[in-house]
Amino acid sequence: MKMNKWATALMTGFLALSLSACSSSPNFGGGSNYPSKPITIVAPSGAGGGWDQTARSISKVLNETKLVEKTITVENRPGGGGAVFMAEYATQEKKNSYKLFVNSPPILINNLKKEGNSPFGYQDTTPLAGLTKDYGIYAVKTDSPIKDMPALIAKLKQNPSSIAFAGGSAPGSMDHLISVLPAYKSGIDIKKLKYISYDGGGEAIAALLGGNADVVSTDASSVLEYVKSGKVRVLAVAAPEKLTGELKDVPTLKELGIDAEFNIWRGIFGPKEMDATAKKYWEDKLKALSENETWQKEIAARGWLSDYKGSADFTKFLQEQNKQVKELLTSLGMNK
Amino acid sequence: MGVIDFLWNGFLVALQPDNLLFAFIGVLIGTAVGVLPGIGPMSGVALLIPITATLTSGASAEEAASSAIILLAGVYYGAMYGGSTTSILLNTPGESSSVVTTLDGYQMAKQGRAGSALSIAAIGSFVAGIVALIGLIFLAQPLSEIAIKFGPAEYFSLMLLGLCAVSSFAGKSMTKSLIATVIGLLLATIGMDNVSGVARFTFNTPVLYQGLEFLTVAVGIFALGEVFSTILQKNKEEQAIAKVGRVFPTKQDLKDSAAPIARGSIIGFFIGVLPGAGAILASFFSYIAEKKWSKNPDSFGKGNIAGVAGPESANNAASGGGMVPMLTLGIPGGGTTAILMGALIMYNVQPGPLLFEEHPQVAWGLIASMFIGNLMLLILNMPLVKIFAKIIETPIKYLTPIIIAISVFGVYAVQVETFDLYLLIFCGLLGYFFAKHDYPLAPLVLSLVLGPMIENNLRRALTGSDGDWSIFVTHPISLGFLIVSALWLLIPIILKLRGKKVIINDES
Repeated sequence: MKMNKWATALMTGFLALSLSACSSSPNFGGGSNYPSKPITIVAPSGAGGGWDQTARSISKVLNETKLVEKTITVENRPGGGGAVFMAEYATQEKKNSYKLFVNSPPILINNLKKEGNSPFGYQDTTPLAGLTKDYGIYAVKTDSPIKDMPALIAKLKQNPSSIAFAGGSAPGSMDHLISVLPAYKSGIDIKKLKYISYDGGGEAIAALLGGNADVVSTDASSVLEYVKSGKVRVLAVAAPEKLTGELKDVPTLKELGIDAEFNIWRGIFGPKEMDATAKKYWEDKLKALSENETWQKEIAARGWLSDYKGSADFTKFLQEQNKQVKELLTSLGMNK
Repeated sequence: MGVIDFLWNGFLVALQPDNLLFAFIGVLIGTAVGVLPGIGPMSGVALLIPITATLTSGASAEEAASSAIILLAGVYYGAMYGGSTTSILLNTPGESSSVVTTLDGYQMAKQGRAGSALSIAAIGSFVAGIVALIGLIFLAQPLSEIAIKFGPAEYFSLMLLGLCAVSSFAGKSMTKSLIATVIGLLLATIGMDNVSGVARFTFNTPVLYQGLEFLTVAVGIFALGEVFSTILQKNKEEQAIAKVGRVFPTKQDLKDSAAPIARGSIIGFFIGVLPGAGAILASFFSYIAEKKWSKNPDSFGKGNIAGVAGPESANNAASGGGMVPMLTLGIPGGGTTAILMGALIMYNVQPGPLLFEEHPQVAWGLIASMFIGNLMLLILNMPLVKIFAKIIETPIKYLTPIIIAISVFGVYAVQVETFDLYLLIFCGLLGYFFAKHDYPLAPLVLSLVLGPMIENNLRRALTGSDGDWSIFVTHPISLGFLIVSALWLLIPIILKLRGKKVIINDES
């Protein structure tokens, strides 16, 4: 019967789909012959976001350049802003050296904030390498009366709630922390600051352009095009030194006498009890990846900046940023 | 060069043999993505990006970008075509914007009019695609200026209008409809509150941080609910199998659908332009509008073809409208356009105010390919209708397991979480009891979507105005929506008081 054939084909398709979706492997450690089977890199979000893109770029370049011969598959694990995946990974997969994952500052923030807390943080993983960086920026509409960062700070000192900041994430998360950073360092009570959260950086910029917000605080890469077309001005970047390209004339917070920076990194992590051979293997491979020409091209195409940090450096850097995030959240009264 | 010249050049790009092939692959995959519940256009596009990168690796940057975006956009609007299929045949929405199509589409299928419903959905989608395209060509610039003027206050009032209109979905009893609405609003509060960052009703379980997934609830309530009622209320005599009947719509069907398609296309396009509103709202608003305008509102929910033609046109037009803010402002209107934008950026093409100047080949090539893609979809879908419509002839005992399998696999493939499977089953039972006791299902699902939007925009607006409520009446657009909302509720009551016989859904 024609119908049955159709149904069979449909069912087979679904079966294949569902099997590929749950391709978790039993926990085997490493051993001297690591890797002896395919590797999974998890993006703890749905398809299409920053983590997903990072995971896909890494696996693509590692396989294409034959740096890693074993097949690398990317798995999406959405839910709870990464917290659902972390809960499972830090408890059930802590010895599985064949499963790595990508993350960014939310791994610190989720673990430190009170609401929507993730009980597991970077301490429950083995940080393998930091790969890219981006920085927080403060942007206004081109015709905004706020001329520069000192003027913004002066206004906030007069009345902390006179300026509406917009960002693309919920209060207590990344864009919010970026928005309060300069005020915090200038001794302003950041609990009084007005932060309006939107669903994503795009909507936040729309709010700025439509006159529904005064300042947008988000990552540098999301505003480049608006700077280019002359619709927004960037007041300052939260970077250690001036950026290149479109934002090369924008002062850093440090140059303005505000001792602060916010690095929006993306990195790759392994399980807490990662096998020593496996850890060494990935340290070497990821260093080679960061120096690889194909990788450089890949991240340039996506508009990311390369910022390689080896396992030890990366862990130390995370400790420092963890301290900064904790400080900010405590001042906001949003810490755990 | 004028618009026509640019468009002509765009067609030259889109008509290159390899780009025609890319458009075809795109719409084909898109149709499949739309048919499968769970895998929506968003994940479909995201998963195809690496593949298109490989396919186009030989070409120059500009050509590769055009080809890739032609394929990916094909997936996007292909999914809008495909989404109606399972809604109509199996009462299982293929993607979220086809939820309302189940209301009348499934009823039509039960009456043996599946062929008409499917082909009207395809024809409506085609017309809407063309309308959206014309809008995109001639209105993109001025519309995008208006779209960014839409602040939190305007969105709030628009959503409020949507909520008032929920009453249109009421069955026999207004009270029951309102109960369903409130349950939906309550369920929508689960998860991290996006305005204050507080976790509500999550009991510290991470799976609840992002709230209940809309699609899981919709598939559960509509598809599994139907399955349960088939099993539990097993008719004494084996249910008569619906006959497919004719595949093509009758002249009367076409006549009845013409106006809904036109209205749906226009409503869909304008709602699609607003960032954050999206195809779900477009289809809901179109359904509401059709019911309001209809001379025979009682026939909705019982297989009125306008209830298929309008929403299916609207969701396709919305996908075209969604391109407006992305291409002209670089602001994605929703998840799928955000991913399309990411794909363009990968090819070093930055959507935004400069796109049409810097990369005319990509922008106009895409627009021209949308025309060709829509035509392909119409040609592709009409013969498929015949095949798909046969599904309805399958005996219930085979069909029921298939629906369960599609629902479970579809939900799990996206959420990868057993919690969502429990939720699916729970919503199925809920849907069964609701339907059994005459509670309408659509208000629950609609308020689940509208709830967070209303709440977030209300609070954003009030944060911005320092708690001053007058912001909603001092903004002219917002005031306009509020007045329409008020009239919506008041006019039937006034008419009734004056002794006119109107259809007002209250208990009698």
